[in-house]
Amino acid sequence: MERVRILLLMALRSLGGHKIKGLIVGSLLAFGTFLFVMGTTLLENIERAMEASITQSITGHVQLVSKDAVDRLAFFGPDASSEQDLGVLEDFPRIREVASRVPGVAAVVPMGRYYGQPILNTELDEAIEALEEAVAGGDAELIEDRIGKVRRMTKTLHEDFERLRLLVREDDPETEKALQVLDKATSDAFWEELRANPEAGLQFLSFEVAKLSDDQTMVYLPFIGTDLHRYAESFVHFEMVSGEMPPPGSRGILISQAAYDQNFKNRPARLLELIHEARTLDRRTIADDPRLQDMVERLKEMTAQVTMHLTPQATAELDADLRARFPEVEGDLDDRLAAFFAVDDANFDERYAYFQERIVPLIPLYRVPVGGTFTLRSMTKSGYPKAVNVKLWGTFRFKGLERSELASAYSLIDLASFRDLLGLMTAEKRRELDTIRSEIEVEEIDADDVEAFLFGAEPELEIGSVEEGLDLDARLEALDVAEGGTPETFDPAEIEKGTILNAAVVLDDPSSLSKTMVLLEEAFEREGLRVKAIPWTEVTGVVGQLVVVLRVVLYVLIGIIFIVALVIINNSMVMATMDRIGEIGTMRAIGAGRGFVLVLFLLETLVLGLFASALGALGATGILAALGSSGIHTHEPFFIFLFGGTALYPAIDVANVVWGFVVIVIISVISTLYPARLAARVPPIVAMQGKE
Amino acid sequence: MAAIVEVENVIKEYPLGKLSVRALDGVSVTFGEGEFAAIAAPSGAGKTTLLNLIGCVDVPTSGVVRIDGQATTDLSDAQLTALRLHKLGFIFQSFNLIAVLDTYQNVEFPLLLLGGMTKKERDRRVREIVEQVGLEKQIRHRPNELSGGQRQRVAIARALVTQPRIVLADEPTANLDSATGENIIALMKEINRKARTTFIFSTHDPKVIAHAERVIRMADGKIVGEENRLAEGVA
Repeated sequence: MERVRILLLMALRSLGGHKIKGLIVGSLLAFGTFLFVMGTTLLENIERAMEASITQSITGHVQLVSKDAVDRLAFFGPDASSEQDLGVLEDFPRIREVASRVPGVAAVVPMGRYYGQPILNTELDEAIEALEEAVAGGDAELIEDRIGKVRRMTKTLHEDFERLRLLVREDDPETEKALQVLDKATSDAFWEELRANPEAGLQFLSFEVAKLSDDQTMVYLPFIGTDLHRYAESFVHFEMVSGEMPPPGSRGILISQAAYDQNFKNRPARLLELIHEARTLDRRTIADDPRLQDMVERLKEMTAQVTMHLTPQATAELDADLRARFPEVEGDLDDRLAAFFAVDDANFDERYAYFQERIVPLIPLYRVPVGGTFTLRSMTKSGYPKAVNVKLWGTFRFKGLERSELASAYSLIDLASFRDLLGLMTAEKRRELDTIRSEIEVEEIDADDVEAFLFGAEPELEIGSVEEGLDLDARLEALDVAEGGTPETFDPAEIEKGTILNAAVVLDDPSSLSKTMVLLEEAFEREGLRVKAIPWTEVTGVVGQLVVVLRVVLYVLIGIIFIVALVIINNSMVMATMDRIGEIGTMRAIGAGRGFVLVLFLLETLVLGLFASALGALGATGILAALGSSGIHTHEPFFIFLFGGTALYPAIDVANVVWGFVVIVIISVISTLYPARLAARVPPIVAMQGKE
Repeated sequence: MAAIVEVENVIKEYPLGKLSVRALDGVSVTFGEGEFAAIAAPSGAGKTTLLNLIGCVDVPTSGVVRIDGQATTDLSDAQLTALRLHKLGFIFQSFNLIAVLDTYQNVEFPLLLLGGMTKKERDRRVREIVEQVGLEKQIRHRPNELSGGQRQRVAIARALVTQPRIVLADEPTANLDSATGENIIALMKEINRKARTTFIFSTHDPKVIAHAERVIRMADGKIVGEENRLAEGVA
């Protein structure tokens, strides 16, 4: 005990005597511990938060797919945007029944993911439509107003094409043709003619001119086809923002509020909102941020998207208002509105408020209102374009993930429309097809082949005779007609009998994930169902692997710190040994054994390691505790997704603190092994060599 | 007088490049219990080498060194260490105090290595010896706060605290002024007389030699003369 005391005492004294070395090595060790504790704790918290945000919004904890799936199911990342061959979950009602019996399973939600393009009018489309309405109404003033707008837009389009010709295609026939059309549409003669004979002119505008405009209306809308009600019940983060859930059995779509704002919102209104958010949430300023400056520039060119929606009375009122604001601006309302849109940091808040209060009530804020219907176009699995009319029942969000682009990437659509868009079998079609099949004795037509067969892509299909083949064609067409194009409803009881690609399993307790996975697989095996269970981390693609990447980066970083620490400690201890040869020799001469010297040196670093590591762990714990109560706040969509909300409140795991401490202490001792052995080999005779 | 240190026919050679240097060339000498002996020689004559061998920090190339009847040639490093700890005390030319320890701790250090002692007993012995060397007032001073003479007193106290049979001192006064040197020698001699501790010290200082009861003269690794002043009544 006393030996330990003197060893400890001497170790402390030596440390005190070599302050610089102690400080360098100590801060290195403290930093290592700090990094370890902070890193692992934050990572675990992010992992937990991410798990919560993903599993409770989109994927559930486990996804079920057919064992015959060729591709990996992925909701995010590059894999998600390519076509995925997942096979089909055969006999879903039984799969649900079997899965639901597994302990820990809270819900089984059928789903499939795909994407489509809403067919939306371009601004020019809308302006032409507005002109048509005005012509039909016969209000001369309104007609002139609308003519002005369409003319201005055709003029801009003309300029765009001239630029295009100069830049890319000198003699591209399509560009030349477009320019010819636009030459006509911008000529005074054309508009004189239109005033005299509106019908021909409007037709020319609708059929020839309108198609030339492509103002970024190509929207990519990823969606999840699912049982909407079951989805809403099973995912606790789900919450409606506007509109209502479609009644059971109704076709329709729910768009995530973020996607709705991004793709459907009136563009000047959207830009103003983005600038507002950047200024308030992210504390950016127009003066400092080139992105915001660019937005303001674009905003100034978007006046038509406000003015074309205004009635003459509203136009007059707004113009009077803006005239008072900008008496110096010549021209019409568009010019004054452009001046109004030239916002800067000083006037933004006032103008934003004015826009919300005065202008928003005058214009349609979204291109498709809640309750409206739009056409969604997709490519079916067999490669044919398919369009389905869908009713927009409402918008939704995932609580806490409002600004997360990833969490709000997917919209939700009913399974019947989903199957139509993918060209999959609905229950009725499947039954009808079975009937036809039995009639004409075709054995092999499965879901995917039907369309190919209908469109003649696979002529080698075995069909009894040509006449009978035509018969099948006719019967299936008749089936479509019978459905009346796109019906508005479907039989909710039949929803799970059609084709289902995958399903989400929501668990009661996320920590039992791996155990439940095993139970699920066993249950499917036992029941002879060809289903495999995939944990959420795998189906989230790149996003799920991000945690793994972060972990690797962290460990590499810690590893580097460790190696550097090892080298530095080793080095400075070797130097210290050299400095202290006389002292060691004296101790050895007086009667200290090699073991004593070895232990003394190890103890010195151990004490330093304990102290520094405790300090580092304490520092990290302190900061984490502070962050735990204040939260780490973010407005970056990516971090919102990582954090599962706009703030992460890290919880401290004692295990991480202890681990950080222990690991660093061990590292410090290991790095001293060599110098300590070196010291222990110092012979006592050096004491006699006359140096103190 | 019983022999405590026996040096028999000792040769010590050090390698020097391809050659070897013979530092001791057939030295035989015996020291009795309670002797106060000086090894007097000019630098390079082999006196430090002889002390190293007696001090068990080195072993002879040939010949035998026996401490209290134990031949050092046969012992392992650990056994030599134990021998040094239990039977020998060292006083060094440049004091060799442990810089990070104060007077008390420096003196206590060998007792801690020795072990098997209560704190109280240790404290008693440390204070007694510190008092004996006259450093009660400096008991909490670190070596850098002490003068050369005080440092050597600490070294003497450290060498004596374990009550060794033999104290070896290599040029103990070389780094001290002559008055202080005299004091140190006087102190050593007083302890020698009181505790019958054998003192063997090397020196080339005539004033120090004058205090020795027995003087062994060396040159070129050999003993070239010996005087026993005790018989002449010099002490």
